[in-house]
Amino acid sequence: MSALRGLLRAGGSLCQSAGTLLHTARTISTGTFCQIRMHSIPQPKEVDRWTEKRTMYGVYDNIGILGDFKAHPRDLIAAPCWLKGFRGNELQRLIRKKKMVGDRMMTLEKHNLEKRIRFLYKRFNRVGKHR
Amino acid sequence: MFRFSVAVFGRGVAKRFSSSFPAEGALPPNLQLPANLVDPSRLKRPPPPADCPLPLLRRCEAVVPAHLSPMQTWVESLQMEDGEPLGRAELHPDVFGVSPRIDILHDVEKWQRNYKRISYAHTKVRSEVRGGGKKPWRQKGSGRARHGSIRSPLWRGGGVSHGPRGPTSYYYMLPMKVRVQGLKVALSFKMAQDYLHVVDSLHIPTPDSQYLLDLIRRRHWGESVLIVDVAEEFPENILQAASDLKKVNLIPAIGLNVHSMLKHEAVVLTLETLKFLEDKLLWHDQRYTPLYPFKLPYRDFP
Repeated sequence: MSALRGLLRAGGSLCQSAGTLLHTARTISTGTFCQIRMHSIPQPKEVDRWTEKRTMYGVYDNIGILGDFKAHPRDLIAAPCWLKGFRGNELQRLIRKKKMVGDRMMTLEKHNLEKRIRFLYKRFNRVGKHR
Repeated sequence: MFRFSVAVFGRGVAKRFSSSFPAEGALPPNLQLPANLVDPSRLKRPPPPADCPLPLLRRCEAVVPAHLSPMQTWVESLQMEDGEPLGRAELHPDVFGVSPRIDILHDVEKWQRNYKRISYAHTKVRSEVRGGGKKPWRQKGSGRARHGSIRSPLWRGGGVSHGPRGPTSYYYMLPMKVRVQGLKVALSFKMAQDYLHVVDSLHIPTPDSQYLLDLIRRRHWGESVLIVDVAEEFPENILQAASDLKKVNLIPAIGLNVHSMLKHEAVVLTLETLKFLEDKLLWHDQRYTPLYPFKLPYRDFP
């Protein structure tokens, strides 16, 4: 519809008679509209670089070296208990989760976990180049 | 007409021509300085000269290798805003003068960011999405594409085939000596760039944060200051003064780490912290490899 207005404006500038059409033109809507609506240039989001969390990030990471090895940095990690100080692929993580937390899980979750372990075991050990 | 235009344009040309030879120290009026520009009036302080009359308040206790000599810095006091340095202190070259290894700093910083990262992104697989056990329509004859379940990854509302799975951890440990070397390199960088300050103690006369800000600005320490002390309790005055300030932070010596040192511009250490750090960091140069973890008792450590 803005294209129509532009055409009429261009036509009106060329010949006087079409100028009367400009004043009587109605905007025609076909039912679609511009999905993305935003202001011209978005403002950059203001990030405070000195919040408490950002200032104190990383403190006590060397608690082992500087603190007589009474604690280890992996004791600082806030994570589900089967992931504290552990890294593995999906199958290893699921097996560890089943070992550590399995008897506390809900039935549906446990069932899904066992299905996934069975699938991944077959996938890793029977399919593909690396078995 | 021509003379008039020459007069008019000549003035503009003369102004533009004269701006290419500015007066000494004249800044252009439309200059915009970046916000993170280092304070231009901050000059590098010269290290104490050999014949300095001020007393040597701290000698290096650890053995310094024969081919190196201890480095010297000023020891200042926080009691007076514009006080002169009280004395000099010696720093061990194997802690504060190691070679500038940016790659070790990068590795340690990357480790600090990632070892505690847990990503909780999780998507359901086609077997976990509710429903989808029944074949939607018969295999042949309906004219539609063949499907076995309504939750296959092809369908809208179906499972994700290769999405993130459950809480994932990115934990790994760098070798202990690399982490120790990272600390030494960071301290050496701060020392070399004149951002390391030694202070005899953390007693200040008032619990006023403005006093701390004025002191830092007067001495041109930088925008942000990290104050490190060995003691578990800090004097109340400085605790209260720093609690209101975002960019001035106190940490115990056990909490020293590369990320905090890189985040804060200036690092302030006390004399006891120097001894503590040199003790802890130099031990790793001459220790045996652990036969069992260090947290179990050893006869001669700690």
